[in-house]
Amino acid sequence: MTAPVLRARGVRIRHDGSERTTPDGVGLEVRPGEVVLVLGPSGSGKSTLVLALNGLVPHAVPATLEGSIVVDGVETASTTVAELSRRVSMVFQDPDAQIVTGTLLDEVCFGPENLLVPVEAVLARAEAALRQVGLWERRHENPDRLSGGGRQRLAIACALALDSAVMVLDEPTANLDPVGIDEVYAVLERLVQTGEHALVLVEHNLDAAIGLVDRVVVIDRDGRPAFDGPTRSVLRDNMEALVGMGVWLPSAMLAGRRLRAAGHPVPELPLTPTELTALLDTLVPPASAVPVGAAAGSTEIDGAVELAPAGNAVSVRGLRVVKGRSEILHGVDLEIERGAFVAIVGTNGAGKTTLLQSIAGVAAPPRGTVEVLGIDPARVDVRRLARTVGFVFQNPEHQFIRGTVADELAHGLELQKTGPAEIERQVGRMLERFGLTAQRDVHPFLLSGGQKRRLSVGTALIAGAPVLALDEPTFGQDRERAAELLDILNGLNAGGTTVLVVTHDLQLVADHASHVLVLDAGRVAAYDRTAAVLASGALEAAGLAPPPLVRAFRAAGDPAWHALTRLADLDAPSASRSPAEEAP
Amino acid sequence: MSAAAATRARRGPVDPYADAPDHGPVRFLHRLNPLAKIAAPLPAIVALIVSRDIAVPLAFILIALVLLLVGAHLTGRALLGLFVVLPVAAAVLAVSFGLWADASRVDTTPVLFRLGDYRFHLGSLAVGTATSLRLVAILVLSLVAGLTSSGPDLVRALVQQLRVPYRVGYTALAAYRFVPRFGHELEVIRQAHRVRGMAAGRGPVAAVRRWIGYVVPLLAGGIRHAERVALAMDSRAFGAHRTRTERHLVPFRVRDGVFVIVFWLVTAIVVTAGILRPFPFLEAS
Repeated sequence: MTAPVLRARGVRIRHDGSERTTPDGVGLEVRPGEVVLVLGPSGSGKSTLVLALNGLVPHAVPATLEGSIVVDGVETASTTVAELSRRVSMVFQDPDAQIVTGTLLDEVCFGPENLLVPVEAVLARAEAALRQVGLWERRHENPDRLSGGGRQRLAIACALALDSAVMVLDEPTANLDPVGIDEVYAVLERLVQTGEHALVLVEHNLDAAIGLVDRVVVIDRDGRPAFDGPTRSVLRDNMEALVGMGVWLPSAMLAGRRLRAAGHPVPELPLTPTELTALLDTLVPPASAVPVGAAAGSTEIDGAVELAPAGNAVSVRGLRVVKGRSEILHGVDLEIERGAFVAIVGTNGAGKTTLLQSIAGVAAPPRGTVEVLGIDPARVDVRRLARTVGFVFQNPEHQFIRGTVADELAHGLELQKTGPAEIERQVGRMLERFGLTAQRDVHPFLLSGGQKRRLSVGTALIAGAPVLALDEPTFGQDRERAAELLDILNGLNAGGTTVLVVTHDLQLVADHASHVLVLDAGRVAAYDRTAAVLASGALEAAGLAPPPLVRAFRAAGDPAWHALTRLADLDAPSASRSPAEEAP
Repeated sequence: MSAAAATRARRGPVDPYADAPDHGPVRFLHRLNPLAKIAAPLPAIVALIVSRDIAVPLAFILIALVLLLVGAHLTGRALLGLFVVLPVAAAVLAVSFGLWADASRVDTTPVLFRLGDYRFHLGSLAVGTATSLRLVAILVLSLVAGLTSSGPDLVRALVQQLRVPYRVGYTALAAYRFVPRFGHELEVIRQAHRVRGMAAGRGPVAAVRRWIGYVVPLLAGGIRHAERVALAMDSRAFGAHRTRTERHLVPFRVRDGVFVIVFWLVTAIVVTAGILRPFPFLEAS
């Protein structure tokens, strides 16, 4: 067996000013050509650990590091980050925060130039790297013109140009839409096939990653090492422990687990969508798992919708929106019934956010084109609007305007001229509902990511708005935060709130939305119940790829599986819950 | 729309990072070192700051405009700015500065118009014109470099000729990327605050309060972004050595030296002529 290029032993890291030590005693070995996935729940210190691999911890991020990390024979603690960059390269989560120069070529050359590589060698490396990620033809363009997936491929090319033995990728697809995720993994797959690169990956999107991974290292909630070994055996042998820990697993595996719980013979859990399809072909679809067409919608979440009184929450008629010189929406007609959970999907630039902002009155639509519960957002004042529709921005910080959590919630009620006693009562109720009672006097900016998100939903709801609109609420968040938010939204929806969500996450759509609205180039391509839209091929027609689970079901030989779209469809009545719901 | 026009539309109005385009030997300004284009008009700008008359700024405006018309590839927008917006602005400034002028020093000159007790003298207009032309001349002289140099080239020249540490130069260039990002973020924050009912209240006090409300989220986001960019740059060996490989050399050639010296000579002639005052009718007061 070859010697590891990277060996970490007993790594303990404590950020300055923090009480917690995460990771706490974790070891890691990476051999040439190997792909190692680091898994763990939020707060386990995965990202901190990988930042230590190229010396950013402790050299650039103030923290104390114990234990030893040796890369290519060099101890990271006693070597500069610049020197280590020849050995370990990094790709971060946010593609925008990694671009320094003005053209793709300059960007890729940036690293080798800093290392004083001679000009000819810089250019040779840059060309090879850009060709590997398929961007050589665009080398003279400004990186701003690339899509999110394109910019992340550029970041990979920049890492390749450093010619390092190990490449570390920290949640490289968390900020990307499904098309971007596919692009990045297509590139990574080619890299792995060359066998020349060792990769260390932190990733929540396991459906895309799992096919590449040789070995998994699991860190538990306290930052302690939990498991370390070959992918299949670690995941299959310890699945229940991993689910209990709050670690996200490939959806094919969770589907297999549910099938097993429903009484199907599942000798070996599938890891990839392809394996799930192969498994399905060996099974007999039960009668109960054959919801076709309209019947598919009438399970669980949708039950509440059926009982709700008819009537529309939102009517849109001939909505055209012009921004600058171009028309974004070309005459949208839409009726959304009360109590629906609507997901608005579409490729970038399809007009999703514009439509949502028009409905919620964030950007006033032309008069007489939008009606929300009897009012026209273009004509009413902020006070009336806030009582009717609440809007949650993508980044919760953008909408915080007061100095404490309690004031933040009270603000909406003060606008409504509510009495102080009533404000106090309602704020207290809202704090309790969103688990923020202990933080009532904290500045909103000092909350954790999840708390900020909950507060932003609370402020949108406190004036009593029966319609809630959210713009990409799960973008850039890890799975656990996303699941927590969706639980809140499901609860609100069950209580009668009409929820509208713009999102890229199509599995979220399949699992939670009652209706899907597909926008394509400023027009409504489809609007119907979720199952009907997923089965209709409207997503593909609008340039979107269906979620992995849907693809796996649809690829099965027996058409009885084709209409299934989500994990819950597989449940026998007594089956256990998904890890999202079990995570605290 | 042609493919080229479509590309341009997508690219937006200005790409501050685009490589300096070459527009042939006639449009020679684009081929000069950015430092030469900054050094050449510097003495003229200093002379303008201390000059009082109309002839000197007028001469420099003419020289700069001719230089730009011949030596620079000007877009329609730049031409519009130089030949429509600039003269109008100069006229408005001339009258406005005239209103500020000390009337007691020019009350021997004819009265142009009256507003109640106020008399606007020809002398006031002359003083206003002189001030306005000085400002316009300084602006046009700086445009000689401004319209014909690219940001990256200026940074490279600063690093290569003036020995500015590359860490400073390239960090400035990276920071430039923040500007459009901040603009977009500010727009979203304003939208969010409007929806939450922060727009309530008019007048300067409410406006200041509103802006303070924007600054906190903008700074929080900005600092986080800057930290991420810094980590990404560190990971790519930024600052590893005192120097770095330069693929683009921005040399200071003979022609750059010639350009600077000729410009300085012309400046000396114009200033000397201004002091000798061969055109008394152009004197302000």
